[in-house]
Amino acid sequence: MTTLAPTVATTTDRPPLRTAPKQTGRKIAVIAALVVGACFSALPVLWMLSSSFKRNPEIFAYPPRLITDGFSFDAYTTILTDPVKLRFFLNSYVVAISVTLLTLVVAVLAAYAFSRYDFWGKKTINVVVVSVQAVPPITLLIPYFGLVVALKLYNTYPGLILTYMVFTLPYAIIMMTGYFNTLPKELDEAVKVDGAGPMTALWRILVPISVPGLVSVGIYTFMIAWNEFLFALTLTRTEDMRTVPIGIQLLMGQHSYEWNEMMAMSILGCIPVLVLFLFFQRFFIGGMTAGAVKI
Amino acid sequence: MGNGARMTRAVATLGAVALVATACSGGGSGGSGDGESGGDVTLEFSQWWEPELPDGEFRALMDEFEDANPGITVELLSGPYASTKEQVIAGAAAGTMSDVVGLDGAWVNDFAKQGAIADLSSIMSDAGYDDSQLVSQVAVDGSTYMIPVVNFVYPMFTNDAVLSQAGVAAPPATRTEFADAAQKITGLGNNTYGWVLPLSLEAPNGVQNDVMSWVWASGGSMLKDGQPALVDNPDVSSGVEFVADLWDSGVVSPGAFTMKEQDKVEEFTNGRVGMMIDSLAHVNTIREANPDLKFSISAIPAEDGYTGERGIPYASWGIGISENSEHKAEAWKLVEFLMSKDTNSQLSSIAHAFPGNTESVPDFVEEDELFGTAFEIYQNGYPANEFTGLPVAEQLMRDFSEELQRALQGDQTVDEALAAAQEKWEAEF
Amino acid sequence: MITSHPTRARTDDHPVAVAAGPEPSGAPAPRRGLTLAQLRARFTPYGFLTPTGVLLIVLMVTPIVMVVQYSLMDRVITNKNPAFVGFQNYLEVLTDPVFTVAVRNTLVFTVGSVVAHFVIGLAFALLLNTPLLSHRVKAFFRVLYVLPWLFTVAIIAVLWRLLLNPNGVVNYLLGTFGLTDGQTQWLSDPSTALGAVTFINIWSGYPFFMISLLAGLQGIPRDLYEAARVDGAGWWGQFRNVTLPQLRPIIVSMALLDFIWTTQQFALIWMTTGGGPITSTEMLSTFTYKLAFTQYDFSVASAAAVVVLLLSMVLAFFYVRHQKARD
Repeated sequence: MTTLAPTVATTTDRPPLRTAPKQTGRKIAVIAALVVGACFSALPVLWMLSSSFKRNPEIFAYPPRLITDGFSFDAYTTILTDPVKLRFFLNSYVVAISVTLLTLVVAVLAAYAFSRYDFWGKKTINVVVVSVQAVPPITLLIPYFGLVVALKLYNTYPGLILTYMVFTLPYAIIMMTGYFNTLPKELDEAVKVDGAGPMTALWRILVPISVPGLVSVGIYTFMIAWNEFLFALTLTRTEDMRTVPIGIQLLMGQHSYEWNEMMAMSILGCIPVLVLFLFFQRFFIGGMTAGAVKI
Repeated sequence: MGNGARMTRAVATLGAVALVATACSGGGSGGSGDGESGGDVTLEFSQWWEPELPDGEFRALMDEFEDANPGITVELLSGPYASTKEQVIAGAAAGTMSDVVGLDGAWVNDFAKQGAIADLSSIMSDAGYDDSQLVSQVAVDGSTYMIPVVNFVYPMFTNDAVLSQAGVAAPPATRTEFADAAQKITGLGNNTYGWVLPLSLEAPNGVQNDVMSWVWASGGSMLKDGQPALVDNPDVSSGVEFVADLWDSGVVSPGAFTMKEQDKVEEFTNGRVGMMIDSLAHVNTIREANPDLKFSISAIPAEDGYTGERGIPYASWGIGISENSEHKAEAWKLVEFLMSKDTNSQLSSIAHAFPGNTESVPDFVEEDELFGTAFEIYQNGYPANEFTGLPVAEQLMRDFSEELQRALQGDQTVDEALAAAQEKWEAEF
Repeated sequence: MITSHPTRARTDDHPVAVAAGPEPSGAPAPRRGLTLAQLRARFTPYGFLTPTGVLLIVLMVTPIVMVVQYSLMDRVITNKNPAFVGFQNYLEVLTDPVFTVAVRNTLVFTVGSVVAHFVIGLAFALLLNTPLLSHRVKAFFRVLYVLPWLFTVAIIAVLWRLLLNPNGVVNYLLGTFGLTDGQTQWLSDPSTALGAVTFINIWSGYPFFMISLLAGLQGIPRDLYEAARVDGAGWWGQFRNVTLPQLRPIIVSMALLDFIWTTQQFALIWMTTGGGPITSTEMLSTFTYKLAFTQYDFSVASAAAVVVLLLSMVLAFFYVRHQKARD
């Protein structure tokens, strides 16, 4: 990695001074490193994909094979033709999208306060925000469940959405505060000179140039809400409220697992997320913030 | 000064949030349909059975019940088996437990102590129910809290092809024969092992099904007067020694310390182990997965020369009624329905399990030779599962598994392991 | 040397009271209207924090307070009338030998995971930020690299149990290439289990670092690199003097959060090893879970949770102090 760092760090728009052969050598080295990294990250997923096409016993066959005689789409058809399972997907979308949007709004407000103001109790609030995450969720389960039932949020979307917001807010606030801190305060002051309030400064100036940060926090938030299992199970009761992770665990029976269906369901679950990621990842492409910061 | 204003604002917002929250939940689909009016009752029945049965079959049974009992509707709530326990505990603590719940024998004692499930003995006597038709009941302190609806017994499965290849003529009937057969099968090489032993600490029921089963099959017991008796108990120590000897001679399939029941059956299905002790629930799984695999079912081998009745381990789908339920009488009707001769026959047929009603006969016993044999074994022996109804039963299995792992690892002797487990068990009783 | 170049704007890591937060000395307001404005300005930050505050107080602080309460009682939940027992549960937790083992394993697991998440995440982020390749190629690899993040823990556990099975793909490949004898029982051997579980956690968690660092890299002004080059800094100098310092706030925040989250990791460990074999992967989370849900001792479990909470608060305190020091 060390040999790659320089090329990477020099994110420059200036014409490179180096000679062409050197460039090519670097290019090959970068591609080689990328391929090695891709093996690490993607091969297990490839195995998941291959397992989803197998018949159950073939998953355990030795020597293992990527494509087997029993290759079929049965697992996928089973899931896609089951209205109950499709409902799980719908629920997951509703919950994850709501959580992402709400978390971003609430966190941006809080981060603005942390980044641009000094106020009494700031330090304490900071410590609390960070450390509330340190309680093992499993011990919170029973009191939390009691609370949700008392608030009449049991088996509702809002119950799940608010719960996940509690999980995702601390991270979102901390990260957004960090991003705002890297933006010069002159930016929002310039707006205020024109008589605009802090809200204008925040939403018109800071938020638009923080898009890469917002996207990365948003993706994180979405993933948490999409994949959470324990609270999703405890806080819902009926099939029409359950989410994909529960659907996957329902395939893990007392005596045997539906291995291929489990794999297929998680592959199906990740495809929309991937599409979302593909769409948003253009915000990672170089230079955006750096350009905007220039006053 | 600023404090006051801040407080006011905070309180106001809090109130607003609460309002919104209430409004939202009103609009949500949270209505449990109590239906107090008109005497209509909705029973919630949470279990893990429905997803394990063929699609729609369990719901069909419920429809039958609803037809026979106008005014009662059953809402099936299905959850994953592995998380059922947490859900029941949390539900009981928050007062939202379902009226009728599916139970595992290992949890009953704890739920009863928590006051989560109702005393069925008094409900039965209130209803004037004749409990002699029940195969078994799980009691805590003399009162019944769970009724096994259907039972999955755990006989020995042997792979016919592997056995004959290894020159083993018939499934072993004694421990010596078993050790010998295991040795021969392992000797075949090619990554094939004689036996498989799941000892996962996540789901430690291997201790009950695959270890203690050896003790029970020779008429032994791990308890004495309801108290743990792991030390100075020749039945237990010889059984566990036997398991340890098998381990030491290398005939046990690798990966045992994190293996679960679901993995065990895959090893067998793929022909990598010759023999296993396993649930009858798997017969169809194996047949569907590997139609070419020929296998037999026999009683778990006993100590050489043992001629008494053999205990055969089992796992149940048990049923209980929530202590908080406002409809205990209706809930009992549902239990009674499930335990009735015909329904129980039907349920055990679709689940491929043995009935909880003494008079029920599942159809597969006559149609299927393998199940016929199993039923014979079942009737010749006695159902043995000493963990059922014990306090923190799952933890007992886990404690035992941990100490056994230490012994198999060579960190301590079998006797030391039993003594250590005994000490832990005594602390829990 | 790089930072000595006062390129505009980069100096303000610290939040400055922009909206004229009144000085503590409180210069007397010349006019009444201004005082009102000042007062409003003083309350503005609390306004911004209100939604967060309400949510966290109602849904997080309340249950935590209840857990603290539980930890001082005797056998809550299962006992109908629990008695106050003071710190007895804490004593029980802290003197349990398994607790010590759990703390040690948790530290190994957590530190290993966080360090690896950071190193792998940064390396991948830098690779994906390279100007040498076309956007399309980079987009392709970005998708591949983010994959481990897209799955629920249960499926990650099941997948890796399959892969690391003695008869699984990993052993098959290692055996075929002659790297091992292909017989390793990764998860079932007490000597490799902790490493194996940590590896799985590294695999499933690095994309989080990678994505955040990737976003962070976009925010580094190019002229900082140019200035560094003018100063004669090579690739290493630029990396050390520009990239790392610029990413530092993000790295510190993420490392802290990842540390706290990783200590909480439960499902992954539970579903792969159950804390075993023996106690080789016993963590604080599995220890606490067993206390609560298999031994039914919610009081002792709560005490264990509070101990973890206190440790994390110390950590959070240093984190906030560190931020303060930067200002």
